[in-house]
Amino acid sequence: MLAFELLLQGLVQGSIYALIAVGLTLVYGLLRILHVAHAGLFTLGGYIGVIVTNATGSLLLALLVAMPAMGLLGIGIYRTCYQPLLSRPPYVALIASIGLFIMMEELFRLIFGPYGLSFTAPPLQDTVAVFGVNLKEAELATMIGAVVLIGGLALLTLRTRIGTASRATVTDPKMAEAFGVNIGRIRDINFFVGSALAAAAGVMVALLNNLVEPTMGSVPSYKALAIIVLGGLGDLRGTLIAALALGVIEAYGTIYLGNLLDRDAIAFAFLIAVLMLRPQGLFGRA
Amino acid sequence: MQENFIKATAFAALLSASAAVGLTGAAQADSIKIGINVPQTGFAAADGTSALIGAQLAAEQANANGGVNGKNVELVVYDDQASPKSAVPIATKLVEQDEVKIAISGSYSGATRAAAGVFQEAGVPYISAFAVHPEITRSGDYVFRTSFVGEVQGRAGAKLIGESLGKKKVTLITLKNDFGQSLANGFKEAAEQFGIEIISEYEYSIKDRQFGPIVAKVKSDAPDAIYASGYFFTAGPLVSQLRSGGIDVPVIGQEGYDSQKFIEIAGGASEGVIITTSLDRDSDSPEAKDFIAAFEEKAGYKADMVAASGHTAMKVAIAALREAGSEDPKAIRDAIAGLTLEASTGTISFNGLGEVRKDVQVQVVKDGNWHRHSIISDPDLLAPPEK
Repeated sequence: MLAFELLLQGLVQGSIYALIAVGLTLVYGLLRILHVAHAGLFTLGGYIGVIVTNATGSLLLALLVAMPAMGLLGIGIYRTCYQPLLSRPPYVALIASIGLFIMMEELFRLIFGPYGLSFTAPPLQDTVAVFGVNLKEAELATMIGAVVLIGGLALLTLRTRIGTASRATVTDPKMAEAFGVNIGRIRDINFFVGSALAAAAGVMVALLNNLVEPTMGSVPSYKALAIIVLGGLGDLRGTLIAALALGVIEAYGTIYLGNLLDRDAIAFAFLIAVLMLRPQGLFGRA
Repeated sequence: MQENFIKATAFAALLSASAAVGLTGAAQADSIKIGINVPQTGFAAADGTSALIGAQLAAEQANANGGVNGKNVELVVYDDQASPKSAVPIATKLVEQDEVKIAISGSYSGATRAAAGVFQEAGVPYISAFAVHPEITRSGDYVFRTSFVGEVQGRAGAKLIGESLGKKKVTLITLKNDFGQSLANGFKEAAEQFGIEIISEYEYSIKDRQFGPIVAKVKSDAPDAIYASGYFFTAGPLVSQLRSGGIDVPVIGQEGYDSQKFIEIAGGASEGVIITTSLDRDSDSPEAKDFIAAFEEKAGYKADMVAASGHTAMKVAIAALREAGSEDPKAIRDAIAGLTLEASTGTISFNGLGEVRKDVQVQVVKDGNWHRHSIISDPDLLAPPEK
C-alpha cells in the first residue's frame, strides 16, 4: 500500500517536472539554447494563477489567463533576449538566460512581496480515494492536466502541418526553410507552447502548496536541465519518461535514502549514473 | 545584440545603486550608528524584512524618547541575502567604513556566524536577533544572542509533547539545516527524560514544498504526535499535506512557524498546531502589547517572532548604549552583559557566553490566529550553553 502511495506521489511530482521540462526541451531541440529563465515563467504563471483565482474565484479562468499570457511572454523573451544572440556561441545565450532569471526572481519579490502569495479560498483541496489511497483533488488534477496537455502537444506535433514543420525544423532548419517553412513562426510557436505549459505547471504547484514565492522556480530551473539531459536533449518522449521516472525515484528516495542523499541531489546522482552508462541520455540516439 | 546586455547590466546597477542610497542616505551629523545585516533579497527576504521593521521600530521609539545620550540612533542597513559570502564584507564595511558602535544580525545562522568573527576581532559588540547556531556566541565575548539556541527550544518541545500533551510515540520531520538539526538534537537529548519514544525521523531540504512521500510514510508509522521543524514557508505546505493525507495527530513546531503567513498557507489545517516560540500574543506585559500594536501599525501586517526578535535585539543595543553612557566598545559590551531588560520577547538577561535567559512561549493556532497555549518556565531545562 505504501509502495503504491509513494508511486502516486512520485507521479504527481513527475507530472510537474514533465510540464516544465517539455518547454525546455522544445527550445533546446530548436535553438540549442538552455533556457534557464523558463523557470521564471513557471513562477509568474503561479502568481497569475493565484491572483486571478483570488479576484474572480475561478481557477479555470486563471489557467486561461496564465497560459496564453506566459506563452506570449515566452515569445517576447525569445525575440528580445535570444534572437539577437543566435549568431553567438550557445553559452552567451545561457548567460543572458541566467541573468534574466535572476532579474525575474527579484522583480517578483519587489512586485509581489517577499512573503509569497496564497489562495484566499484554495480550490481542489478535498481528498478523493484512488484505489484505496487518499489523494488531494489538486494532485489528481495535476496528473490529469499533465496527461491532457502533453497528449494534446503530442497530437499537435504528430498530426498537424505545424507539427510536421516543427519536426522538420528541428531535424534540419536550412532544409526546412528551403521547403518553405517559416522558421521564425515555428520558433514563436515553440516558445508559446512551452511557456504556456510551464504556466500550467506553476498554477498546479500553487494549488498543491497553496504558496507562490519569488524563488519557487529555483529548483525547477536546474532540475529541469537534468531532466532534459536524461531524456536525450530535445527528445520529447525521452523528456517525458525521464520526468516521470525522476518523480518516482525521488518519492522512494526521500523515504529510503533521505538520510544519505538530499532529495534534490537524487536527480543529479541519477543523472551521473545514466551519463556514465549512456552518455547520449536515456533515450537519445548515439 | 550587446546593447541588450548592456541595458540589462545598467538596469541592475541602477537598481542596486538606488537601494544603497535608500539605505544609507539619511545620514545625520549627530547620531550614533548601529549596523544591521538582514536578508532583503533572496529566499530569506520575508524574515529579513520583518526583523528590519522590528529593529527600525525600536530605533524610532528610542529617538522619540530623546535618543541615546543626547544623540539620535541611526540604523545602517545592508542586505546580506542570508549568505555567509555577503556577510563578511558587510561586517567589515560596517566596522571600517561606517564605524558603527554596535551591530545587530537580523539574519540566519550562516551569515550571522560568518559576520560574528569579524565583529569579535574588531571589538564591536554584535547581537544576533534570531539565528540559532550554537557556534555564533562562541566567536567571543563581544557576541550576544537574544533568541534561544536550537537545542534549548528542542528540549522545550520534548517537555511540551511528553509532559504537557502526554504523547509518547513521536515522529520527527526535520529540516536539513542547522536550525532543524539543532532542534532535533535538543529534542532527542530530552526525549527520554519525558518518556518519549522516537519511532521514526525524516529529513527534508529547505527547498522542499512537496511532502507527499513523507506523509505517506508517516501515516503508516502511526505516531501519537509529530515534531516537525521548519519555517512558515515549508511548515505551511507540510501541515496542510499531513492533514489532507488523513493524519490528525498533534503537530508541534517551533519559532520558524511563527508568522501569520503560516496560518494563511495551511488554512484550516493550521488549527490546533502548537509551537514553541518567543512572542506571546496574549501577553499581559505592556512591552509585548505595545510592540504587537505598534508593529502592526508600522508594517501593515501582524507581528511575528522575527519581528519581535529584531525589536528586542535593537532594544538591547540601545539600552546598552544608554547604560554605558559612552561610545566605548568595551563599556557597551559590559553593559550588555550586565543587562536585565523587559522586552517584547519577555524578561531577558545573558549568561557568561552571551546566550539569552528567558521563558519559552507556547502558542497554538485558534480561529485563524496565534494564541497563548502555555509558558514553559524551567531554568534547568532551558539553560543555554555556558561555553
